[in-house]
Amino acid sequence: MATHEAALLRHEHAVHAPAATGVWSWITTVDHKRIGILYGVTALTFFAVGGIEALIIRLQLARPNSTVVSAETFNALFTMHGTTMVFLAIMPFGSAFFNYMLPLMIGARDVAFPRLNALSYWIFLLGGLFINASFLVGAPPDGGWFGYTSLTLRQYSPGPNIDFWLLGLQILGASSVMAGVNFIATILNMRAPGLTLMRMPVFVWMSLVVQFLIVLAFPPITIGLVFLMFDRFFGTHFYDVAAGGNVLLWQHLFWIFGHPEVYILILPAFGIVSEVLPTFARKPLFGAPVVIYSGILIGFFGFGVWAHHMFAVGMGPVADAAFSIGTMLIAIPTGVKIFNWLATLWGGSIRPTVAFHYAAGLVALFTVGGLSGIMHSSPPVDLQQTDTYFVVAHFHYVLIGGSLFGLLAGAYYWWPKITGRFLDERLGRVQFWLLVAGFNLTFFPQHYLGAIGMPRRIYTYGPGRGWEFWNLMSTVGAFGIGLSVLLFLVNAARSLRHGALAPADPWDGRTLEWRTSSPPPVHNFDAIPPVYGRDTFWREKHGDSRGRKPTPLPPRPDPHGIHMPAPSFWPLVTALGIVITAAGALTHLAVVVLGAVVVLVGGWAFALEHHRNPAHVDQVGNLGVDHRKLAMWTFLGSECFFFGTMIATYLAYKGHDKVGPHPHEILNIPLTTISTFDLLMSSLLMVLALHAVQRGDRRQARMWLFGTAFFGLIFLGFQAWEFTAFVHEGLTLQQNLFGSTFFVLTGFHGGHVALGVAMLLTLGILDLRGKLAVQDAPRVEVVGLYWHFVDVVWIVIFTVVYLIP
Amino acid sequence: MSTHGHAVDTDAQRRPAREAHDSHASVATYVRVALILTAVTALEVGVIYIRFLTPIVVPLLLVMAAAKFVLVVMFFMHLRYDPRPLAGVFVGPLIMATLLALVVIVLVGTLPAFQR
Repeated sequence: MATHEAALLRHEHAVHAPAATGVWSWITTVDHKRIGILYGVTALTFFAVGGIEALIIRLQLARPNSTVVSAETFNALFTMHGTTMVFLAIMPFGSAFFNYMLPLMIGARDVAFPRLNALSYWIFLLGGLFINASFLVGAPPDGGWFGYTSLTLRQYSPGPNIDFWLLGLQILGASSVMAGVNFIATILNMRAPGLTLMRMPVFVWMSLVVQFLIVLAFPPITIGLVFLMFDRFFGTHFYDVAAGGNVLLWQHLFWIFGHPEVYILILPAFGIVSEVLPTFARKPLFGAPVVIYSGILIGFFGFGVWAHHMFAVGMGPVADAAFSIGTMLIAIPTGVKIFNWLATLWGGSIRPTVAFHYAAGLVALFTVGGLSGIMHSSPPVDLQQTDTYFVVAHFHYVLIGGSLFGLLAGAYYWWPKITGRFLDERLGRVQFWLLVAGFNLTFFPQHYLGAIGMPRRIYTYGPGRGWEFWNLMSTVGAFGIGLSVLLFLVNAARSLRHGALAPADPWDGRTLEWRTSSPPPVHNFDAIPPVYGRDTFWREKHGDSRGRKPTPLPPRPDPHGIHMPAPSFWPLVTALGIVITAAGALTHLAVVVLGAVVVLVGGWAFALEHHRNPAHVDQVGNLGVDHRKLAMWTFLGSECFFFGTMIATYLAYKGHDKVGPHPHEILNIPLTTISTFDLLMSSLLMVLALHAVQRGDRRQARMWLFGTAFFGLIFLGFQAWEFTAFVHEGLTLQQNLFGSTFFVLTGFHGGHVALGVAMLLTLGILDLRGKLAVQDAPRVEVVGLYWHFVDVVWIVIFTVVYLIP
Repeated sequence: MSTHGHAVDTDAQRRPAREAHDSHASVATYVRVALILTAVTALEVGVIYIRFLTPIVVPLLLVMAAAKFVLVVMFFMHLRYDPRPLAGVFVGPLIMATLLALVVIVLVGTLPAFQR
């Protein structure tokens, strides 16, 4: 105990000491600002890699019958370009701003779970390196960033190329969901006094919407990837048409993720523009609540339009019409935002900084992409455009004209806050206009190329089709984009050494991050700033529309002192374990075991690192609930999508088996009823355990905790017995579609039960060692929530798998 | 303090400042819930063997499963006693996941109404 208090004291001293330096301090950092910088640098590096891939693609297509690269290399290049730009560049570029800016903008000292934040980063970095390591072994993914089955099944892609891709994406997905849960807890529970939800800056709101999209959209693609992994590694039949499977299942699962992913990429940019335009127009954002509601609506509708990517597969008129209407509807809140931004500029006292240029550029260029998107919402039109360069032009106007321009606006806007120095505005303007010219020269002609029939993803083409000139122009434009990015890097490097020093509030900003120094201290704010309304900081400086200024409250010292999280290397160890496990899947089972051991050791140490730190006891935030509890409920929301997708697949495939055994021939309902009863009763024991911990009754707490774990083990025993019996009766993973769906669904549920048992035993052991007291009740409650959720999932599985005829 | 009507208030001030553990259910309630769960499970298994219930057995089973689900979530997971935002971050995704699952079942499965 004394050791922990001493450690805590050291951290408090550290708050007022200069920030630690050296490589080790970056490896072990849990500071949201440093993690934000790490995300930014990593994203920029991967952006350069993805950009080089794009330039090679454009070189190959510059002339007819070109042989710059082979067809196989071309396939790998467009696959890795898409994968890299989406998952390793644009998304993490947004994460850089979430990490650095969100705590500052809501007046928090850090995120809710700083070490989880570090874990998210290391998993992302190592996952990105894992996918790119495929180049080193000569097996880069080559099935497109969409990875359509059956192209990606072992039969048609026998090498490890697709394995790198599907394992890497699962790793990256884990990182994203962890970060999403973390930011949701942070935004909802760690706001400064007075910062109610509707007073939050629009960037914070858009970030919140994005985090929900991430935690809800990633599980379906994770399940899709798990099915693909099982098909490739274990011979299951999820996408095997001959065995009754359906390749369209992959397309649905991919696009249920893929379309919200578009909003995951674009909404952070919308949030940034909503901060930049009011600052440089010196006006409040026009209709801020409407902009916020529009963002929420975009996120919500984003889940209901995925199949507009599949109009060409023949879903039928009812489905086509429904998804067409949904897609048209989503244009409404998007258009509302555009008009609100324009109204913000109207009558404003505009300062045309580079950040402003990029924000205004987004409004113009994203609109072009948005309009071509509305064209795709009509199935007959879409059928003509599918798989042509028209679509390539459309989504690059959305993702470069929208996302990248917005992110660059953010980079120029917040660079002085992050580094304490200005970027060169003159060089920035050159870079902006070069990017505008290069971008439009590259992608606008592609509308035309698509319209006259040039298919996407072809590695070369013959002369005489009218494609030569515009392809050459497109390539020239691409090198213009490359030069512009190079100029940005030069500008950044020069600024770090020679840039003019920036004050705390260089742009006369409106939001809380401008109240603290540039760059901010480790603890962000000496005193957490109170908030009186929207744009409080602006009102303090300039008053409201009648010139009235709120009188700032005197600084309120933190009653417990300023506690900053201690550095930790366990996030890196745990992330390493995950990637070693993935590498093992491509090499040898022993490496998988080694990776799993590293994950277990790292995860265990990670979980218990601060178990007795008194500063971690009180984690109740704005909503009146513990951060951990809020995070667990959010995670369980994500798990609803995870198991919902699996159960939907089971039901969609029910009765599609070509061979037996069939469910009614093999399922043992009386036996499963007993194991179901066992699991239900384990939930009763769990609540009794929590009750005992809250009362401080250690004896009963220990008894009920171990009792719950014991009941969990009994359930797993039943499951093991059932699996063994089924295998003896001829039902295996590979036997038929029922075997594939049954074993994967119930096996994953069993895996969840096993994890729950491990957590319960950990709590029990802590109690045996006298380390589980009343103040640890929130930990027990969080484990209990997980356990009960596993129980309710089984309630559904028991009904749909075993009982429904 | 003069804030010209811009009062400093927080979401927390409009809600209980701390989680009120004593507002959770009693042990007796938990035991009652467990007994109901057991009884409903027995009913679930029972109805599949009753021939005249065959036409309605699927909706019957789904309703009973939903009832068990709600009981565990409301009482064992304390959602009945917790602040509403917690329900929001779980129930919202639960409803969305259910709707998405239904659409996937329809589109990937073989429901005749949606075929060409």
